[in-house]
Amino acid sequence: MDTIGWLILVVIVVVVAAVAFVVIRRRRRGGGVIATKDKG
Amino acid sequence: MRLLMTASQIRGLPVVTVQGGEDVAEVRDVIYSPEAGRLVGVTLNKRGFLAGRSREVLPAEAIHAVGQHAVMVLDESSLAAPEDAPDDVAHPAMERNVLGDDVLTEGGASLGKVADLVLLVGSSGEVVGYQIDKAGGGRGYIPLPAQLSVSGVALVVPNITEEFVQDDLVGLGAAVDEFRARLGLP
Repeated sequence: MDTIGWLILVVIVVVVAAVAFVVIRRRRRGGGVIATKDKG
Repeated sequence: MRLLMTASQIRGLPVVTVQGGEDVAEVRDVIYSPEAGRLVGVTLNKRGFLAGRSREVLPAEAIHAVGQHAVMVLDESSLAAPEDAPDDVAHPAMERNVLGDDVLTEGGASLGKVADLVLLVGSSGEVVGYQIDKAGGGRGYIPLPAQLSVSGVALVVPNITEEFVQDDLVGLGAAVDEFRARLGLP
């Protein structure tokens, strides 16, 4: 694989890692607005 | 000081102790009672960049103050273990997340989708109303006693709610009083 090929591979790996990081962080931080159930 | 805040502004705020100034947790979920119209408590995340959900929760009674930049508690003992906290806070019904719920009148007309919850903080944590993404586009606000029922799917409101959709938070305060009067609520 030539230099351009390696460069593209590195860019793809970095982008995939960044997306995975953001998704994992959002899932772990979570958060919502929860309504309690009516009691009567 | 009384301050109108949305639930999304409260989510992610640090929980800080008054005695010691320690940053002990971060707000994860905001739990409210649509019946009582008040904040019931919050669930927590641990501190740290990738830290997840904390086992401990924070009931509304243990909150010293909610401000623009932090939720204040007296000390670390204010955080309650699930077995010591009210059930609604310790085991919140996650399927009853109202964000994204359709707002429907009892006549079947859609007013939009729930975008947020508006609270009056600094006092009792009174819930004032909902911020909605209007069906016709743009943001709007409806007063809280509006809903007849709430689930994780839809918020059903009386037909007259359509008259009380406000474009801003300033209008919402006045609309709540007028709306309650029209419904004969105290």
